[in-house]
Amino acid sequence: MNRFGKQLLLVPAGIFGMSLMTSLPAAEMMKKPGDFPQRPITLIVPYGAGGGSDQLSRAMASAVEKVVGTGIQVVNKPGGGGRAAIPDFMAAPADGYTVMEHIDDAATLYASGKIKQNPAKDWMPLAIAQVTFSQIYIRPDDKRFNDWDSFVKYAKANPGKVTIANVGNVGAMERVNMLFLEKELGFKTQQISFDKPAERYAALIGGHVDALFEQPGDVRKFLEADKMKPILTLLKDRPSAFANVPSMKDIGVKFEPLLRFRGFYVRSGVPKDRAKYLEWAFHEAFKSADFQAFNKKKYMHLIDSYRDTAGAKRMIDNAVKTYKKVYKEIGLTK
Amino acid sequence: MTDFLGGTAHLFGDPVGIVIFLAGLVGGLLFGAIPGVNMLTLGAVILPFTAYMSATHAIMLYAVIYVSGVYGGAVTAILFNIPGSPENAPTAFDGYPMTQQGRSGKAIGAAVVCSSVGGTASALLMMIATPRIADWAVRAFGPQEIFALVFFGLSVAAAVGAGSIWKGWLSVLLGLLLATVGTDPAGGLPRFAFDSYYLLAGIHFIPLILGFFAVSEVFVQGHKIAAGLHLPPKIGVDFPTWREFWRLKFAALRSVVLGFFAGIMPGIGATLAAFLSYNEAVRWSRHPERFGKGELEGVVASETANNAATGAAMIPLLALGLPGGALTAMMMGAFQIHGMDPGPLVFMTAHDLVWVTFAAMFFANVSIILLGFIETKTVVHLLRIPFRILAPAILLLATIGAYALRNLLVDVWVMFLAGIAGYFLRRTGYSVAGIVLGLILGKIGEGAFVKSMQIMHYNFLGFFERPIAAALILLGLATIVVNVVKPSRVARQAAE
Repeated sequence: MNRFGKQLLLVPAGIFGMSLMTSLPAAEMMKKPGDFPQRPITLIVPYGAGGGSDQLSRAMASAVEKVVGTGIQVVNKPGGGGRAAIPDFMAAPADGYTVMEHIDDAATLYASGKIKQNPAKDWMPLAIAQVTFSQIYIRPDDKRFNDWDSFVKYAKANPGKVTIANVGNVGAMERVNMLFLEKELGFKTQQISFDKPAERYAALIGGHVDALFEQPGDVRKFLEADKMKPILTLLKDRPSAFANVPSMKDIGVKFEPLLRFRGFYVRSGVPKDRAKYLEWAFHEAFKSADFQAFNKKKYMHLIDSYRDTAGAKRMIDNAVKTYKKVYKEIGLTK
Repeated sequence: MTDFLGGTAHLFGDPVGIVIFLAGLVGGLLFGAIPGVNMLTLGAVILPFTAYMSATHAIMLYAVIYVSGVYGGAVTAILFNIPGSPENAPTAFDGYPMTQQGRSGKAIGAAVVCSSVGGTASALLMMIATPRIADWAVRAFGPQEIFALVFFGLSVAAAVGAGSIWKGWLSVLLGLLLATVGTDPAGGLPRFAFDSYYLLAGIHFIPLILGFFAVSEVFVQGHKIAAGLHLPPKIGVDFPTWREFWRLKFAALRSVVLGFFAGIMPGIGATLAAFLSYNEAVRWSRHPERFGKGELEGVVASETANNAATGAAMIPLLALGLPGGALTAMMMGAFQIHGMDPGPLVFMTAHDLVWVTFAAMFFANVSIILLGFIETKTVVHLLRIPFRILAPAILLLATIGAYALRNLLVDVWVMFLAGIAGYFLRRTGYSVAGIVLGLILGKIGEGAFVKSMQIMHYNFLGFFERPIAAALILLGLATIVVNVVKPSRVARQAAE
């Protein structure tokens, strides 16, 4: 057995939280297809350094490196809300040496016609490695409201006055979730998008906006330092780590909240054996102790964060279908 | 004080620490100086290796690279009109004209001393300032204040380097127009993107600077060689005199203050610090028309402010966990590799680390003087290389630099187009510096403006309910009026 397999055995299975590890004996090394890969693989990140996608990609890259034995070069190509990187990805040969990270925005951009490539068909997902829910945060010392109920009450008393910072543009996961929420509960807020995370967080902490729509893994340190307080979890049931925060069931809303997911793609023309090998390698990397520790810090163990190629395709197809329906409803597309 | 001494003892009492300190100093200087790579490249390359260092060493290394990297790019900006890093772009506005006038030694000397003074002052302020400053800055400066600051900065941009004030304004407005290309900051809708995904990323100011300055300079010199008018630049190794420095004491002080506050604000950072400080130098000067043509104060303002921003940028990072720029974001990565998260608790949980980092930044700033002095006496001799050999090297480095920025090919095209446009714009009295100022300030300003309007529920008067924002906007308006009225009055007097 190789070094990597031994490492896996040493890791207590409990860490993973998910069912996927428990039935695995020792990881078998998959045979490399031909000489693939014999040179470093390029991993394109369509967002800037330091953000959630970048952190995930770097953690995944170092885990995959250990599995495949060649280097992974992470290249940030930020711009255009995740769109600027796409032409380079599509122009690279479909030989498995170019992988791209992308988030659920790829599905929403496709659903609204802003990109032409269907992430489930024109690209081939190797893995989804993070699936996470969102929360709404306020300042813990806000005198006007201190929990979800008082927040909604205040928002109803001041229609359109409460400001919420998020990252999403019109049609993105953040906006659609808020739209559903406001429709069901009958209140209205002003959404403001801040594309740089630091500005977004500073806007809440500094008192320039009233609330923040974000995923818990990205603001963990602010929660721990008591600079932000979650007042709603956008998930049907309360996850264990946020047992004190009301969830969708508690506030009596019915819509299925949309999740943030981050995955890795190759172009769909990549030879089958190479794609299979990469899918396996990304799964092995996902299971590695280092990556699991990383994901756990980001609260990614609270819901099942892994999808293989088939599972990822289903997830993307579902997302595209849902968003298309929503866009028609709100009149964003015909 | 005891904290600082403790940090110093920690830093220099440990041979491994000293080696890492020196490596960071030299590494930052080199990567900052070579166009095409910058301190971010170095930071990304070494990030995985920091896992094998102690957390203190890792963070200290990044802090030192930050300090020396911000200075490093000044040399190529001054000698070849190629800013090694974005923070050094305004340095080229006056630094390169100085080189052409045979005053390269003075320009580099001023850059060295001012980087060091600005950085050291900022490091001292950082140590005195408690996390309280970070809290205050985050509260006091919202999108409204950032917009007002940008507006204030733009109000003098027209005075930089143009043949007349109207050509200056046209240049700035062209920059503002270019800033709208890409994705709009309010709803993410495409603007002037012509269905190209590449253009959705917008036009970045770095390829524009490389094109306007480095590439068009190659054309200009090529033209001169063809016409037989080319004269090789004289080589000046003279350091600025004490008198020259003393004359600029207020400029330096103003730049330290500006750079420091720009550094504290998340999303502003060293690059904008340099630009804003440059603009203020123009505003306060009795001879604004000299800027862009070889005014020493321009180099002083830019280099003092960008280094003053380094210490300040550490405050929101360490105190609040808010990285203001890409390098501080990488520092966060280094923290996380060691299972730590910077934030309000770091001053208590990682007391040693914080103070070793502070001490390292202080001494890195002091060391720049020595390294820079040697550089002044040696690097200027690169100008002896004949231009026909230098030109292809400049084009190659500029191309690499434009591509390396975001790894997008659109940036290379922008650079060459800007190079051709710059050749003609410069001949006709338009200000390429003004265009660059318009582009960089336009992007930040528009983003802040739309956020402000949403926060204030589209009530424009909301700006005037906030004292800092109101003061900046009014001062900006006053500047515009004065600048427009003064030249026409002068013209009228001349006519009479």
